[in-house]
Amino acid sequence: MIKRGKGIAISYYGTGYGNGYPDVSNTKIKLNKEGKVEIFVGGTEVGQGAKTVFLQIAAETLNTSIDDIILFSEDTSIMPDAGTAAASRQTYNTGNAIKKACEELSIKLKLIAKEILNLNTTEGLIVSNSSIYLSFYEEKKVSFLDIAKYLGENLLIIESNFIAQTVEMDLETGQGAPYWPYTFSACEVEVEVNTLTGVVNILSAKFAQDTGKAVNPNMIEGQMDGGFCMGLGFSLFEDLNIINGRIKNDKLSKYLIPTSMDTVDIEKIIIEDPEFTGPYGAKGIGEPVTIPVAPAILNAIYDAINVRITDLPATPDKIVMAIKKDSKAEDKNGKID
Amino acid sequence: MDLKYIGNSINRVDAYSKVTGKALYPQDLYYENMAFGKTLRSEHPFAKIKIDTSEAELIPGVLKIFTHKDIPNNEHGVLHKDQQIFCDKIVRRIGDPIAFVVAESEKICEVAIKKIKVEYDILEPIFDPIEAMKDDSIKIHGNSNILYHYKLRRGDALKALEDSYFVANNTYRTHSVDQAFLQPEAGIGYVDDDNKVTVVVATQYPHYDREEIAYCLNIPMESVRVLNTNVGGAFGGREDITLQVHLALAAKTLNRVVKCVYSREESFLAHSKRHAIIMKYSTGVDKDGFLTAIKAEIIGDTGAYASWGDNVMRKAGVHATGPYEVKNVMIDSYAVYTNNPYAGAMRGFGATQVAVAYEQQMDIIASELKISPVEIRLKNILRVGSYTATGQLLNNSVPLEQCLKSISE
Repeated sequence: MIKRGKGIAISYYGTGYGNGYPDVSNTKIKLNKEGKVEIFVGGTEVGQGAKTVFLQIAAETLNTSIDDIILFSEDTSIMPDAGTAAASRQTYNTGNAIKKACEELSIKLKLIAKEILNLNTTEGLIVSNSSIYLSFYEEKKVSFLDIAKYLGENLLIIESNFIAQTVEMDLETGQGAPYWPYTFSACEVEVEVNTLTGVVNILSAKFAQDTGKAVNPNMIEGQMDGGFCMGLGFSLFEDLNIINGRIKNDKLSKYLIPTSMDTVDIEKIIIEDPEFTGPYGAKGIGEPVTIPVAPAILNAIYDAINVRITDLPATPDKIVMAIKKDSKAEDKNGKID
Repeated sequence: MDLKYIGNSINRVDAYSKVTGKALYPQDLYYENMAFGKTLRSEHPFAKIKIDTSEAELIPGVLKIFTHKDIPNNEHGVLHKDQQIFCDKIVRRIGDPIAFVVAESEKICEVAIKKIKVEYDILEPIFDPIEAMKDDSIKIHGNSNILYHYKLRRGDALKALEDSYFVANNTYRTHSVDQAFLQPEAGIGYVDDDNKVTVVVATQYPHYDREEIAYCLNIPMESVRVLNTNVGGAFGGREDITLQVHLALAAKTLNRVVKCVYSREESFLAHSKRHAIIMKYSTGVDKDGFLTAIKAEIIGDTGAYASWGDNVMRKAGVHATGPYEVKNVMIDSYAVYTNNPYAGAMRGFGATQVAVAYEQQMDIIASELKISPVEIRLKNILRVGSYTATGQLLNNSVPLEQCLKSISE
């Protein structure tokens, strides 16, 4: 028999290394001889979109096209340490470091522009599209290239960093402020369970993700699709099948990760509520997008068949066994032992 | 604020190179006169070992077989240096690296690996973390298999549970899974023109890899260069080093370009897993549906090595209540050594597993009180001005109600 059910789950996730451990992102930016801005930063593009996010934050802060900014993030001999690409921390931590460095660069550039333009003060100067001009008298204008030429060999270099604020927890009570910021998620899944075969199909899914501020909405939706698939695989099929310390499913023909045939067109909802300490309000979402998926699926399975799977993964054989066991049990009100 | 670039769905800057296949990964790189490396790994989960490489070394084309004798500092690890670059006396899991064969071709590496004699003196392994926690259990490292214990205490959870209208008592088990990134580990080591030991690799944290390479080779950090290529997914699985030090050591010793590519099967053996966790929960509620207390014992199997075990199980413990206001909380979260594959970082880092427990508990409570899953959550969720179980004030940006309503309406 095919039975349908719906389930929801919500979750939260604290960003960063946490627990008072110094969580530092360093960056260095330089105005090169061609008048382009070079950013050196050790934050890794692991597929999450770090390179694009870093450039968007720099472009916003310098009010300058992404095409005029060059990012270097591959070579430890030239780039400063920006911490690991993990803990959903690169947009928040390294994004903040890049924003700070670009703000400092703007201040320095305005001071040099004041000299070149023979002005009394930097008041009223605007940075825009690789140049600086006086907002109420645009004839007073100098390009980044002119500034670079003026500086000659004395290249303008800014080094900056951002350190996330967390408080170590008490060893006995666990009281403290271990992570910041927290990011929130919610997921609803509708499933179809074949009670004879135990196979679960996802019929529809909705996912709402708190982003603080979405730097790049398309990339966030991509993360939501990927995070959903990872949660789906975790709850329904992925199993290393470790027996006596040996991984039995050590190839992708046995270790089943979801394909596009297993997932659905998820209704993705981006929630914005800017975080005071985030770069333009942004928070990290890389991990949060996977967390509520497994419990939402398990709650949907329960809603469909009135049997709770407490031992992952919820494979067809386990579901069939649980249904058989449940049909023998007298108490069927959802309590489990 | 009027924003121009933020909030704009520009194309990923790396999209074109990736979709056209132009993006390079370490597997794609070839150098003239390049040598190849292959790792010999443990076949047993717990054993004393003796290694004899003499016969394998005689095979024509073998340049060198690296073992623990060749590495200045053999220990490594992101939190605790409890792993060895090459096991010297004991292996603690299937897949522990014992030797790295470098030869003129991959074929010769494979032949030589089979000729290395490893004598295993089998020890009794332990795979169940609950067994491993016992005082009289066999110890995998040091005096205790309990690597880490996180305690969270707020209010009086035991009394509050007693006074509750209903308590849901259940045990949940999540299993060990793999990050299963699409690009298996690969890398190239060489000494560059500035005499820097260079490793080309796909990693989550190039500066940390540099630090571990410098430490293990006992050379200054400035003499090491890590070049991070495109990364074919990571999800936590590229936090711990795998082949980085092997390649650096071989390149420096032989002054050759050395390449190593893991098969899918070896990739499964080489990197960390998601912690399998046993979660014993008691969740109390009053007759109006407000949470009264949560008590949980959370036991994480960190396998043979710590990796990020302490931090993962801390994160599991901190997030154990779920995003709810609860006045009485008692959480004990443990990371426990076993002889299973080692567990470390994976997307969600402990917080993914506890959600499986706390969110099923909420539905069980709702069903008992005959209210909807949405209603039970709306009564208890964190909002601006709420305090978390660790006593932290959430003073801004807590749009959880908005998230919940937008999926349920």
